[in-house]
Amino acid sequence: MMTKVASRRGDGLRRAEQRDRYLSRVVYPRRMRLADSLEAIVWLTIALVLALFLADSGLADFATPAGTFTGIGIVCGLVGTNLLLIQLVLASRLPAIDRAFGHDHALLTHEHMSKPVFYLIFGHVLFLWVGYALTTHVNVVAEIGVMFSTLPDMKIAYLGFGLLAAVVVTSVVIVRRKLAYEFWHAVHFLAYAAVLAALPHQFSTGQLFADGTWARYYWLLLYAVVAGALLVYRFGIPVIRTLRHDVRVSGVRAVAPGVYSIQMTGRGLEVLGARGGQFFIWRFWAPGQWWHAHPFSLSAAPESTRLQVTIRELGSGTRKLSSLPIGTRVSIEGPYGLFTERARTTRRAVAIAAGIGITPIISLLEHGDFAPGEMTVIVRATDEEGLYLYPELYELCARKSAGLYVFTGNRSQSGRESWLPATEMRRNVTLSTIVPEIAHADVFICGPRHWTDLVVEDARRARVPKFRIHYERFSW
Amino acid sequence: MRLRSGIFATLASGAIILLGWQVGDGSAQMSAPTPAKAASSATIQPPVSQASTGTDAGGSPTTAPAAPAGVADGTYKGSAINTPYGTVQVEAKIVGGSISNVVPLQLTDVGSLSIEIDRQAVPMLKSEVLSSQSANVNSISGATYTSEGYVTSLQAALDSAHFSS
Repeated sequence: MMTKVASRRGDGLRRAEQRDRYLSRVVYPRRMRLADSLEAIVWLTIALVLALFLADSGLADFATPAGTFTGIGIVCGLVGTNLLLIQLVLASRLPAIDRAFGHDHALLTHEHMSKPVFYLIFGHVLFLWVGYALTTHVNVVAEIGVMFSTLPDMKIAYLGFGLLAAVVVTSVVIVRRKLAYEFWHAVHFLAYAAVLAALPHQFSTGQLFADGTWARYYWLLLYAVVAGALLVYRFGIPVIRTLRHDVRVSGVRAVAPGVYSIQMTGRGLEVLGARGGQFFIWRFWAPGQWWHAHPFSLSAAPESTRLQVTIRELGSGTRKLSSLPIGTRVSIEGPYGLFTERARTTRRAVAIAAGIGITPIISLLEHGDFAPGEMTVIVRATDEEGLYLYPELYELCARKSAGLYVFTGNRSQSGRESWLPATEMRRNVTLSTIVPEIAHADVFICGPRHWTDLVVEDARRARVPKFRIHYERFSW
Repeated sequence: MRLRSGIFATLASGAIILLGWQVGDGSAQMSAPTPAKAASSATIQPPVSQASTGTDAGGSPTTAPAAPAGVADGTYKGSAINTPYGTVQVEAKIVGGSISNVVPLQLTDVGSLSIEIDRQAVPMLKSEVLSSQSANVNSISGATYTSEGYVTSLQAALDSAHFSS
């Protein structure tokens, strides 16, 4: 008897070790190779555009003060435009980017690039004003007018710059929550117009991309690749998927006050390859609803004919979703997100959620291949009523033999901030006291922005390496 | 980014930039012509005679049938070449079988910067033409369109004079 038990335990350990090795030496490195290749491409495009400038004897410009201003202006424009195109690619839903970094992370990078890119483009305008004014011995203000009226395609280029400024300004304001999301989103689409408006002057006024040079063909190719990625992945594929899969609302179920599960049916959904923990951007074609696009995570494992999301009424857009008529057509964009098994780097996993953030964690656990004991779920809510989908979660954890910890209570209103309720914080509870082996686990976090940041901080204090922290934050 | 990939990306980017610099610097020493024009050579091959002589004037300037000795003295007007910055046209003066002067009749005039660029580029182009006795000269960096128009117009003028270097 003893030997049998021992050998079975030995088998189990061996299997666990094998899984660990597979996740840490195959799954994770594969994703990192992709991520590194994509990042390398970005650096190489920047190097290439600088090389084109240098190959066109760009350094000769720096011989005179006027030429120096002009040269700096040109470099700012080249690098700024290159980065602007990268920003567009980051927002294009390119599958490789989603697989390597995740949609959330890609958009965060997109956001972080905005200011530097704008400063570069602004620098391009300013330095060339000064450079041209010095060359032609005109004062800077007069030069603005001269440029505007005489150089080819400059009027439309100035228009592009104005549009870009509008996009940046509205983004700064929306972060302060003073604008409706839809308004901001509409203005954001002007960025495409801005990029296109800036194109003609690059080929006519810009000498680097003069007619017949191979720099011109490279630059055109770069624009074509970016436009192609946007047309295919941002617009084409979502439309095709919406038409092909014919997703419709099949039922709305109240889960808690103000919280609803929306069930949808569709055709052949398995070809989408959606994974538990991912989200779609949904658009419900009902009166007063169709102009809102909602990013909602799947709250149940996706099936070939059924999809489910669970939503809390947060903003003006979600308030009326509970009364969606059955049969309402639904447009889908997705699936997106790296909040899935694909992000795993090791066997053990800890999932931490607040409130409605539990939804992707339920579908992740339900759909994912987690062996007994590999997953620990930690849920936080203000009170028991805020533990949405708790019966489902409890049943799921029991079925998958996952650990489950629940924390309810108000968070501390003063002093040190914590992601935990104030009572737990006073007892010095932290992630490493709840899950002592957390440093060797993947950590999945889903909750409001600020709360998520606090959990990430705690995880870092518990010595969880950055590459093992995966988070999705609600925005709007 | 992992260390190995980081090193690779840095080295590759560095190599690309150095290569660009090398290409640019190499041509900058020859009175700053632009190499972006062609991958193999920085020299503009002027298209043969767009103007008065017509395309049947025959081949490249070097294989033109007329000998320098047979070129009559006089001034020959080149064709007017349109560029995005305006029309460029030059006149070649030939004395004793060699080019003695090139006079610009029209130059790029779109934007004040064009005029400024031409003021620097045109004397450089002229001195290159006079020393090489042909329209086969390097384009001036930063004045690509002017150079192209100048050289093309000049070639047309030389063709109409049956001049060949």
